[in-house]
Order: sequence, then C-alpha cells, then structure tokens
Amino acid sequence: MNLTGPALVFGDEINTDELHPSRFYSLDDVRVRSGFLRAVEGKEDQGQRPFEGAIVVAGRTFGIGSSRETGARVFRLAGIRALVAVSFARIFHRNLLNLGLLAVTAPGLATVKPADGELVTVDLAANLVRFGPHALPIEPLDPHWRAVLDAGGLAAYLGIEER
Amino acid sequence: MTTRTAQVLTAHAVAESRLAPGSVYMAVAPDVILGHDATIALLIGRVRKAGLRIAHPERCLFAADHFVPAATEERASILHDYVRFVEEQGVSTAALYQGISHQLMVEDRRCVPGALIAGADSHTTMAGALGTVAIGFGSTDILGVLVRGVLFVRIPEAVHVRVVGRRGPHVSGKDVALLMMRHFGEGGATYRALEIEDQTPSRSLTMADRMTLANMAVDCGAKNALVVPDEVTAAYVTARDGAPAPFAFAPPVASDYHSVVELDLSHVTPLVARPGSPADVAPASDAGGERIDQVVIGSCCGGRLEDLHEALAVLAGRRVPDRVRFVVTPASRQVYEAALADGTALALSRAGAMVTVPSCGACGGIDKGLLGAGEVCVSTSNRNFRGRMGSIEARIYLASAATAAASALLGRVADPREVA
Repeated sequence: MNLTGPALVFGDEINTDELHPSRFYSLDDVRVRSGFLRAVEGKEDQGQRPFEGAIVVAGRTFGIGSSRETGARVFRLAGIRALVAVSFARIFHRNLLNLGLLAVTAPGLATVKPADGELVTVDLAANLVRFGPHALPIEPLDPHWRAVLDAGGLAAYLGIEER
Repeated sequence: MTTRTAQVLTAHAVAESRLAPGSVYMAVAPDVILGHDATIALLIGRVRKAGLRIAHPERCLFAADHFVPAATEERASILHDYVRFVEEQGVSTAALYQGISHQLMVEDRRCVPGALIAGADSHTTMAGALGTVAIGFGSTDILGVLVRGVLFVRIPEAVHVRVVGRRGPHVSGKDVALLMMRHFGEGGATYRALEIEDQTPSRSLTMADRMTLANMAVDCGAKNALVVPDEVTAAYVTARDGAPAPFAFAPPVASDYHSVVELDLSHVTPLVARPGSPADVAPASDAGGERIDQVVIGSCCGGRLEDLHEALAVLAGRRVPDRVRFVVTPASRQVYEAALADGTALALSRAGAMVTVPSCGACGGIDKGLLGAGEVCVSTSNRNFRGRMGSIEARIYLASAATAAASALLGRVADPREVA
C-alpha cells in the first residue's frame, strides 16, 4: 500500500501541549479541531489550514507529554493521512495507532527531511518513505499493530465499535 | 533472571486469542485501572453507545481532579456526566473530589510492590515509587481494558538507575528528578523501564522524593519507573495499611539491564528547569534570576505535605512581596487536611499564599493560576512546555518547593541558600 501526500514537517521533541494545548480539550470535535498546532512555534496560525491527505514528517520523540487522546485525535480530525517520525513518544504513538492512524518510524529522517508541502510517499510494501531522490527505511510495525490498523483501530479490533 | 518490571508484567499475563501471531506483545490484566474526569470523559460515550459495561468495576480507582470545582459550564457538564457514569457502572464513588488521581493511588492499599497499575494519564508512572509497575495510556487503551479486561503491552528494556551520594541541604526529591531529566533529556528513556534503586547513605530518599522521581520518569519518555522496594517502602506501607507488603522480587542480574545510570547527589545544588523543556536544567543560582509574577506549589509532582513543609521551612516566618501571586494547591484531601491540622496551611496563608482546594489546578492550564502573556512562574509541577499554564507568551520554571518558596520571597528565580 502506498500513501502519498504533502509533507507537514516538524522538528524534534514537539510535545502534546504544543500540538494541542489543553484549553482545546473538549467533547466537541469542532473545538478540538480548532486547537491543532496552536502552540507549535512558527505554526501557531497554521492549524486552521486544510490538511486533508497530508503526511506528518517529524523528528525525535514526537508527541511527548500528555496522554490526552484529543491531542492524537486532532490529527484525524485535521485530515492527516499518516505520520512518519524519527521516533514517537510512547503514549502518543499508541494513541495514534489505537485510533487507526498509521504512525511509523524512519530514523533516517534525523539526517534528511522533506520541505513543508513536498510530496511524500509512505510505501508499506517496501517499508520505505520516499521524497525527492530519497528512500528511507521504515521500521516495520509489530504484527499486533498491523492487525489493529487493519481492523481500523483498537476499539474495532476488540469488537467494541464497528469499523 | 529478569527485570522487576518483566516479573510484574509476566505475573499479570492472561491468555488472549486475539493477539496476532509473531507479535512481541502480551495481554495483561492490571490490578488497578486509574482514571479521572478529563480522560475517562473521552470514552463514556463510546461505552454507552456500544451498550457495554466495565468488566471489573472493583479494579477501578476513578478520581475527579481536573475540573473540580468546575470553572466553566462545559467542564461542569463533563464532570456531571462523568459522576453519573461512575455511578451507573458500579464503580466506587469514594475517590471523587478527594484529590489528584496519582496522589490517591499512592494513598490506596492496592498500591503495593508487585502490583500492575494502568492509568488514563501520563503521570501514572508515579505509583512506581512503591515498587509497582504503573503505566500511562490514552483513552482508547483504557476503553479496551475497562470493557474487555485486557491491555496489550510488551516487556520494555530496562535501565538500572542507581541513586548514590549524600545530598546537601536544600536539595530535595525534585532536584533528583531534575537531575534525572538532565541526564536522559526529554526522550532519552523512551519505551524503557527505569528501575531506580536508592543506594544513598542510610537510604535518604523519602517516599515523597521517590514519588516525585517516578512521576517525572514519563517526562524523559519512560514507560514506567519502578523504585526498588526497601525498608523505606515497607515503613510507608505499614504506616498506611497497618501491615507490611508481602511481595518480594527475585533480584535481577546486571545482564538483564539495557544500561546502568548513576545519579550522584553529592555535588548537586538546587536546580531549575528553564522555560520550554523539563530537561533544560540548570543550577537555580545560575539561571539568570528572572523576575517572576507567580509561584505554584502543587500538582501530583510537588503538592505533598513534605513539599508544603519544605516551603514553610524556607519562608521561616517571612512574607512574600505583595505583587507575587503565591498559589499553594495540596495534592489531595489527605494532604490538605494534614496541612490544616498541623498549622501549615495557616502559616502558608500568613506568608501570603492562596491555599486552594486539591485539584490539578494551574499545572495543566486548567484553573486557579493560569498565566498571561509575558508572565513568569516558578512551579513545583512537572511540565513547563510552551502554553502549558496559559499563554504561549508565558515562561515557566520548574523547581522544588524550597526553590519555589525562595523565589516567591525574592520575587525572582532564586536559590534557597540565598534566603537561608
């Protein structure tokens, strides 16, 4: 499977409070969506852009901090198709996968990253992320997470919700 | 042999036919599921819609700590529905409005060495101070364990953290935690278990120190932090429960660990984490002495009775400048009542503190001490990310209660030795 979209690029150690400040915690999806990227330096006013089909490309320890799942769900609400990072913070990574969002690691992004908006392809058959002349290896997901993603998320996997 | 974390996870493994072949994950059933109003609220509608019930309500410890008492109409409604959910699912209401979930967990008899605790909050790691394996999860994982009874985890690599050396005066558990943050950085322990052993002379790390240390383990990325149980743990459990804890671990061998880290306290002075990152750590005496507007002593990280006492000892009968907002938020009702009973609350109030009711309060940018643009705060909490406590133009220093109190007295970031 290939997922292609424009890159939405982040640096290292971007935390959940930057990605989605706690004041946008809500049970109302419109309110949750409006908090996207609101404290990320240089992107404070970009959260309202349409991101339908975009692919997040991030540095080290993306999403460190809170377990608030609104901070992961907002990526889905914003239309993000997949996330690739040098590494993810543990809880944030689980939240993304549990919500059925593809989130994989590619350590090679520490040396080279696409430009914001550049087309990126996540090639799951070859386990590569491609942009421009680059093809960086993706660390394969554990079979458990592949099964969760195939089901459409953990709740569907456990038969709690329909896909 | 295996690490203590692996021993606890293995002891809680359950058969699970849904686990994908070839996976390194295992299914476990935790002893306690810790939750609170903010994160459980995210799954209430999903449980109701599926027409399901919590499989083991007796395993839940559900607090109401984020939105209490509610500061907005929306939060009041969230809280209202949460309390109704707790009641309709047959979960005990005893922990509601009693304080911050993590503090309630360590005050609970189920928190004993060898227990497995899954919490719907990142700082669940704090309960590892008692030799538990305590891990934070998001709401969908917690939804799964509540209604299906299982969590999927893998056994993490573990780092043996040896705390050694005799610490000087005014060096508190928070300084040890900041030393750990400086060592690992924000992501340096990602996915790993920290097994922390107090090897200081005469075991100088108190239970409160250990709680603060285990609390911030998640802020350097750790999955859990297990403080190796010893006589300090045994004394705490005996005082709490009237009986010692039974669980003993088989001692791991060196080769079980991924690596060994030594935190030497002998040359440590009071520290602060500078605005923006809990891992940007510097000596308080060397942090620039920025003028401050607010001091917060509170949160699951730094709102225990020991923190309040530490602040009071530094204040020593003096009053903070009128212009400094000095907010003290005890971590639980038990802490609050102890501070009322022993005169600490009154003494803090006389020093200029606004002593608030127990809650997460200012730490999560919720209420009772948010910061405006350009404001500077010293806080005993665990995160100083941009926008964490309000405005993205505000600046937050993290420090011990002693350093926070000294800073309050001088109206600037200060080392407690300056006012000794």
